[in-house]
Amino acid sequence: MNGDVPTTIIVAGLALAGYALLMTARNRRMTVPLLAAVGVLEILLLVQVGIIVARLAGGERPAALATLIGYLIAMPFIPVAAAFWGLVERSRWGPAVIAIAGLVAAVLMVRLHQIWPVIHV
Amino acid sequence: MSEPAASPEPAASEPDSTRAGPGRLLVAIYALFALSASARAGVQIATKFSHAPVAYMLSAFAGLVYILATVTLAVGSPAARRIAVVSCSVELAGVLAVGTWSLADPATFPDATVWSGYGSGYGFVPLVLPVFGLLWLRRWARRARTQRMAATSAEDAG
Repeated sequence: MNGDVPTTIIVAGLALAGYALLMTARNRRMTVPLLAAVGVLEILLLVQVGIIVARLAGGERPAALATLIGYLIAMPFIPVAAAFWGLVERSRWGPAVIAIAGLVAAVLMVRLHQIWPVIHV
Repeated sequence: MSEPAASPEPAASEPDSTRAGPGRLLVAIYALFALSASARAGVQIATKFSHAPVAYMLSAFAGLVYILATVTLAVGSPAARRIAVVSCSVELAGVLAVGTWSLADPATFPDATVWSGYGSGYGFVPLVLPVFGLLWLRRWARRARTQRMAATSAEDAG
């Protein structure tokens, strides 16, 4: 149960990155479905932030609290920033920016687990 | 589909700035590293500076170099491009120097920096990024040179 959301984010992030890179390789520009997929990733990340905040509110603390809070603040901005930066680009490099957001989301889940092992992957 | 020399569909011609086209991806990755390197260094220096002062100072320096490269690549004016060349070069030199140093003298690096092990903790992206940055900037330098030459020859003719 505990690891469901992070695992989903890793799978979704990697799938998004794969699809976006395929679009770059095939010389495609940003599309509405790709943007919708970024929206789904954003929602998943917000859910994960909520789960961690609930744990913190329950009194649990990781060793590296400052780092964890930094991650919680930065995490939701990754898909948003990538969507804006990708949308202004009217070439194959727009989806490439989205691919980075997907990869980063997956890596962030692994890093979260390293920072606070109670967050299972 | 045998000779797709020039892809037909996107008439998106040449990118009109260092932040457009492939530069869009480059600026995105630079921004990511600017954020992660400087935030990480900030936390480390604030909470446990004495643990690994050299590593943390280098992290902070790397963060500043990434911020400078991100901003100058995004701005893209001739002056910004010159600063970008310097920051990418410093970055490349930094990765190589700190990478070698961290392998030769691990005691100085009880905690990793972005550049230790040639950026191995970050999938070697820190090693590859400045190379692509410099290649991208060289393309712009060449384009500016040909434009200048075209302008002067037009003046000579007229």
